Amino acid sequence: MKLSPAVYRGLLFGGFLCLLLTLGLLGTRAYLHSPSRGLPYSDSFAQSKADEWRALGGTWELMNGTIRNDSDERGAKLLTGSSYWRNYSIEADVYPLGKSGDAGLIIRSGDEQEGVNAYRGYYAGIGTFGHLLILGRADHSWIEVTKDISTPGDVRPFQWYHLKLLAYDCQIAAAVTVLTHSSRASIGIADPDCIRSGRIGLRSYFSGGIWRNVYVRPASHEDLVQMLQGQESKSGFLPNNVTIQDSEFIESHRLLEEEQTKALSNSSTQTIASLRLSSFVTPSRATIRGTVILTAPRLYVEDSTGGLFIPQAKTPPLKVGDEIEATGEIRPGDFSSTMERATIQLLWSRTPVPPVSVTASQASTGKYDATFIEVRARLAGKERGPGDAQILDLEEGPESFRAFLNPGRSDRLFTNLKLDSILRLRGICVVDPTLTHNLTPFVLLLRSNEDLEVIAGPPWWSAGHLVAIVIAILLLALASVFLHHRVENWRLRAILEERGRLAHEMHDTLAQSFAGIGFQLQAIRNELPEGLPKMDQQLELASNLVRHSHEEARRSIAALRPESQESEDVLSGLEHFARHMVEGGSVQILAEREGEQRPVPSRISDTLYRIGQEAVANAIRHASPTQLTIRLASSENSVCLQVEDNGTGFVPVSGLQGFGIRGMRMRAQRISASFRLQSKVNEGTQITVEAPLPPRVTLLSWPKLLWKYVMEHSINARATKQANSYTYRR
Amino acid sequence: MGEAVAAAKTGASVYWNAPTREDDVEAQIAIVDNVVDQNYDGLVLAPDQALSLISPVRRALSHGIQTVIVGSPLSIPAGGRLSYILNDDEEGGRIAAQRVAGLLKGRGTVAVLGINPDITSIMIRAHAFEQFLFQNYPDIRVVDKRMGTFNVPHEEQVAEDVLKNHPDLGVIVALIWSTADGSLSAVDSLPEGHSVKVIAFDLDGWPHFTERKNLDCVIQEDTRSMVQQAIELIHAARLGQTVPAIVHLHPQLISRDNVDQPEVRRILGMDWQLGQWHLRQIQ
Repeated sequence: MKLSPAVYRGLLFGGFLCLLLTLGLLGTRAYLHSPSRGLPYSDSFAQSKADEWRALGGTWELMNGTIRNDSDERGAKLLTGSSYWRNYSIEADVYPLGKSGDAGLIIRSGDEQEGVNAYRGYYAGIGTFGHLLILGRADHSWIEVTKDISTPGDVRPFQWYHLKLLAYDCQIAAAVTVLTHSSRASIGIADPDCIRSGRIGLRSYFSGGIWRNVYVRPASHEDLVQMLQGQESKSGFLPNNVTIQDSEFIESHRLLEEEQTKALSNSSTQTIASLRLSSFVTPSRATIRGTVILTAPRLYVEDSTGGLFIPQAKTPPLKVGDEIEATGEIRPGDFSSTMERATIQLLWSRTPVPPVSVTASQASTGKYDATFIEVRARLAGKERGPGDAQILDLEEGPESFRAFLNPGRSDRLFTNLKLDSILRLRGICVVDPTLTHNLTPFVLLLRSNEDLEVIAGPPWWSAGHLVAIVIAILLLALASVFLHHRVENWRLRAILEERGRLAHEMHDTLAQSFAGIGFQLQAIRNELPEGLPKMDQQLELASNLVRHSHEEARRSIAALRPESQESEDVLSGLEHFARHMVEGGSVQILAEREGEQRPVPSRISDTLYRIGQEAVANAIRHASPTQLTIRLASSENSVCLQVEDNGTGFVPVSGLQGFGIRGMRMRAQRISASFRLQSKVNEGTQITVEAPLPPRVTLLSWPKLLWKYVMEHSINARATKQANSYTYRR
Repeated sequence: MGEAVAAAKTGASVYWNAPTREDDVEAQIAIVDNVVDQNYDGLVLAPDQALSLISPVRRALSHGIQTVIVGSPLSIPAGGRLSYILNDDEEGGRIAAQRVAGLLKGRGTVAVLGINPDITSIMIRAHAFEQFLFQNYPDIRVVDKRMGTFNVPHEEQVAEDVLKNHPDLGVIVALIWSTADGSLSAVDSLPEGHSVKVIAFDLDGWPHFTERKNLDCVIQEDTRSMVQQAIELIHAARLGQTVPAIVHLHPQLISRDNVDQPEVRRILGMDWQLGQWHLRQIQ
């Protein structure tokens, strides 16, 4: 099958588009998979930004230019970077927050889940209990090597270390420097079946930790060697302007560190709930034991009977989950108490208490004030409060409440939260009017991003979605209409091309044969001896028949040739045809155009041309006119062809029309055009054909057209009538 | 009763409803939401819970419903369409402290039962009672304080426990009616010669001093006037008049000496004449 040029061009364009798309996809994939994409990397903790980090376990919060995990969970992780990073190093300052356990860095991490060793990658940590530098491989299991760090006295919690972890091919190296003593240790392993790429992470095991100055950069074999030999440049291992001073918070905690080792108090303790019945008028001192459920922005402690707010306490570095004993002055509240001027003693570390799952209605009774709860709610709104605090407005049933997120790592989460989503939130329920501002019965203080979980997005039938669906349907319908027209055009072009081929075939065979036969007959007549009048008469008749057939063949060829129809200028074509017919005669040909010339579908222009040809031919052959006028009038919705002569005319009689007129009527009917014939004896003949045009598609008109199109196709019977406002008149 | 009087006076149509249990907060929220949905002109609410009713009341206000909170306050500031007609619970606490001082003659022990943070007015009267006692009668000690519920048998058990722990207890101050009922039952079961007086707040119904020999007095809030004034306040607000943001009504000390006085009978809702007369006028 031979493809037409238009189809060929379409296919070529489509192929080019596919190629471009493929190249784009390949380029994007290559960029995303690049082992150097995003390197070097430096954290933005100092700018209170950590959107790119994802936590698995722990209570990760930004504080004074550091990121801090208070939880002593086993294996809390915070991850970022590209899973295609291959040969690189990560280094950071690490501040362990527990006497047992370790805190450190992960390299080439992948397949991470929440859990103890639930990831694939390499981890280097500072083990404060055994004074060790730990290096090992996790693959949802754990294999490690360890090395003593200098003198045991150097390694203890609550001081800064600089830890570096490097991976090059299948060699992994770790080095640690005690910042206060500048003592250093390094360790290296070769892993034949190594993990070759992965992202970075911060991790703590059975100990909280603080991290700062996280820096990742590509590494070479030379870097590996220098690191193991301890020859790396100390001044160069951190980028400029990221070093920050120890915060007062950490410093004060360090001073109080020794208090942790004190023996347990022997004072009698009370339940937290019983504090609410303390004297309303005289300050009373009390001692409680409980588990820390929130450290920042407020310190809350919970026991099995309730929760307690401890403002401005002298505290050691506390983590969520620490068991403490607190002594202070009790200020009983309606729903929970406050312990003022408290002195806190850390008893031991334990895992954080799980939240109590309640409904918002239950929480709004105040029964769960100052306790750790989990609640489901619909996100009704979100806003930023003072200090860039992120506030969520939530509703569940008849109750509404608010949740406060700490800015920083939750920025992206906050931005991406969609209204009307169903959320599961865990946090400290607080009914204190200084936080609720009496707008809601309670607020929820979230400890970290991980305390917020989107259970379900907003329902699909939101106003925005419905509008988008309607627009999509309209665009689809528009595209269908456009495609339909294109296909129709391609079909017509194919028909025209086939007709052209037939015309050429007829010209080269039939017409040539007629010409040859005519020539031969004339030759026979010329050579015919005189005295054979009957033979001569028969030859002349045969010659006339051949000439007539030749003319008919030429007419058919002319009618089939696409060159005569391709032009949208029907008027010029007909004028040319008429002048050609009257060539050498005295008939005056006039061609007139009315209205602005506009594109006419080839199906219509072709039909008009054929009707015009017939009308012109009839007028010249039969009406003996002295003047023939061809008019073409274009309007917004139609095109009108008129052929008028001043010849002999005739009396139109219904049912007695010739083949030519019937043919013209039938052609007009095919394009839903009206056909009118007016003629009077000696006053000439006028033939008018008016064809409706498809409406022009503009930016403003397409919805109306689309609606019309849909209506036409959905209500067939009525639409058929509406589609052709120009009824065919016989 | 007060609502019927106010309705007759103002021509208002009153829909009255309440949960079948005083601690059924969700039922009360549903009733408030129903009022909001039905587009009433006003809402008079005696909240069963200090926090849970914040959101429903804010919804009512946002729908333009003139709202009056009676009895116990919410933490929403008064103003705009929100008014409070409250019992003066600080005065109630002071009256109770003075009564205790009188009973103990300035020296002795007292237990405060029925503390319920769900209802702010109870906490206010508990604070005021303790504060006044501390400032004026330092020889009277609060030896025990207990939370209260609306479950009478439970309250009786709590009172028995308190009496067992403090054999020399002089007076029990019962901050809610269920605690008073439970405490009176517990005190009545004490052996002969061991008497503990009970001072009650807001009894539900007639005090029956004759049958309850250990009931010293009742400090009663004037709920009838509260509701009546609340409806009149809504009516005035609808007429465009200025209405007070907060009104405090004095509680009434009811004892054996004054229980038959007309004013006391009116507060206790025993004076049916007025309501019936108005009802006849409506017909």
